[in-house]
Amino acid sequence: MRRAFKIYRILVAQNLKRLMEYKADFLTGAVSFLIDQAIGIAFIFIIFSQIPQLAGFTFEQIVFIYGFSQIPKGLDHLLTDNLWCVGYFIVRKGDFDKYLTRPINPLFHVIAETFQVDAVGELVVGICLMIYSAPSAGLYITPLSVILFVLVIPFSALIYTAIKIATAAVAFWIKSSGFIIQMVYGMNEFAKYPTTIYSNFIKLIVTFIIPFAFTGYYPCLYFLTGENPVFNIGCTVFISIIFLGISLAIWHKGLSAYESAGS
Amino acid sequence: MNKLRKQYLPFVRAGVQNLITYRMNFLGFIIGGLIYCFVMYYLWKSVFMASGGDTFMNFTMSDMVLYLFLSNVAGEITFSSVSNDIAEEIKDGSIAMRLIKPVNMDLSYLATELGGTAMRTVTFAFPVIIGLEIYRYVTLGIVMFNPINLLLFLLSIVLAYLVAFRVNLCFGFMAFYVKNLWGMGILKNSIINFLSGSLIPLAFMPDGLRTVLEYMPFASMSYTPVMIYMGKYDTSEIIFRLGIQAVWAIIIYGISKLIWVGAIRKLSVQGG
Repeated sequence: MRRAFKIYRILVAQNLKRLMEYKADFLTGAVSFLIDQAIGIAFIFIIFSQIPQLAGFTFEQIVFIYGFSQIPKGLDHLLTDNLWCVGYFIVRKGDFDKYLTRPINPLFHVIAETFQVDAVGELVVGICLMIYSAPSAGLYITPLSVILFVLVIPFSALIYTAIKIATAAVAFWIKSSGFIIQMVYGMNEFAKYPTTIYSNFIKLIVTFIIPFAFTGYYPCLYFLTGENPVFNIGCTVFISIIFLGISLAIWHKGLSAYESAGS
Repeated sequence: MNKLRKQYLPFVRAGVQNLITYRMNFLGFIIGGLIYCFVMYYLWKSVFMASGGDTFMNFTMSDMVLYLFLSNVAGEITFSSVSNDIAEEIKDGSIAMRLIKPVNMDLSYLATELGGTAMRTVTFAFPVIIGLEIYRYVTLGIVMFNPINLLLFLLSIVLAYLVAFRVNLCFGFMAFYVKNLWGMGILKNSIINFLSGSLIPLAFMPDGLRTVLEYMPFASMSYTPVMIYMGKYDTSEIIFRLGIQAVWAIIIYGISKLIWVGAIRKLSVQGG
C-alpha cells in the first residue's frame, strides 16, 4: 500500500511537470470544460425563464443537482482518464504489453499514469454551482447529512470508474472498445436532471443497469429533502461497491483473455 | 471534369472505407447522439407539462421532437472530422505528403469527407427523417410531410455543410498554435452546439440575442435547414435565409484561405 502511494506520487509529479511545461494546454482544456458547463447552465436558465418549476424542483434545486453531478464526474475524469485510451487504442496497438511487464498491478498502473487536470473545469463549475444554489435551494442540513455528503461523493465517483473499467476491459476481447465506453458513458447525461422526468423504462436503466442516477439525482434528493437516506445514500454506496466488484471481475477475466496485438 | 473525378475519386473511396473500417465507432457516436436526444425529449416533455399549455414559445411538443431529432440529423450530415485530421497531420508531419501531391489540399480533404457524409446521410439521416414523419402521422393523425420542404432542406443542408466544413478547417489550423487539440474539440463542439441552436432553439432566446445569433455563421450550420424543414419560414424568408447561408459560405471560405496563408509560414516538419 505504501509502495503504491509512492509510485502514484511519482507518476502524478511527472504529470504535473508536463503540465508546467505546457501551461497553455492546461488552460485550453480547463477553459473548454468550463465553457461547456456554462452553456449547460445557460440552457437551464433559459428554460426557467418560462416556467416556475420543473418536475417539482425550483431553479436553484435543479442547479444544485446539476452542480453536484459534476463533482463525481470530475473526480473520475481527474483520476482515471487513461481508461479511455485503453479502450480506444492502447490494446489495439499492442501497447498494453508494457503494463504487464512491470511489477505493479496493471489496472493501478493504467490509472496512475494519467492525472487529467482538464477535469478542474468540471470540479470548479460543480463547486461554484453548489455554492451559488445552496442558500436558496432549501438544503436539508444536519450533522449527519454533512457527513454523508462528504462520504457519498467518492462512492458516486466510483460508479463512473466502475463503468469505465468494465467497458474498457471489453477491449481485451475485441481489441477496441472505445465506442462502447462512449455509448455507456454518454448515459451520464441522464444524471443531470431529476430522474422523475423520464419514463419508467429509462428510470430502471439509469437506476440499476447503468446506475448514473446515483451520481446525481438520488443523493441530491436526500440533501434537498432529507427523505429516505437508506435508499438515496445507502444504495449509492451499495451499488457503487457492487459495480466496482463486477467491473474488477470483468477486468481480470479480460486480462487473462488478452493476447497482444500489433507486430 | 473527367480529370477532376480521376484525381479525387480515390479520396472519396478512402473516406467510405475509413467509415466502414471504424463502423463500430461510428455506431457508438450515433447511439450517443440519440441518447442525448432522448434526454432532451424527456426534459422538454416535463417543461411542457410545467408550463401547462400546449405550446411553449410557439413550439408544440411535436415541433419540439422534430426540432431535436432534425438538429441531430443536421449535426450528423454536417459532421466533419477535418479539424482533427488536419491537426493530426500537422502534428505528425504527414501534412507534408499531402502538400506535395498535385491536388488542391482543401478539395482532397473535402473529397475524403464526402464519402463518409454520403454514408451517414443514407444510413442515418434518411431513416430518422422517415421515423419522424411516422411519429408525426401517429401523434397528429395527418400526413405533414412536405416534399418541397424536404428539397429546400437538402439545398440548405448542402450550404450548411460548406459553412461547417470551412469552420472546422479553421479550427484545424489552430493546431499550429495550440497543442491540446482534444480540449479545443470540446470547446468547438459546445460553442457550435449553443450558437447554432442545436442545444436550444434560437427562437427561445431573448430577442436581441436571437437576432444576433440568426445572422451569425453558426445558425447557417444547423438552425436554418431545420427551420426550413419544419415549415417555420415563409417563401420570402426561406430565400433570405438561404442567401445568408450562401454569403457565409463565401466569407468563411475567404477566412480559411487567409488563416492558411498565415499558418503555413509557421509549418516546420521534423523528420519524415
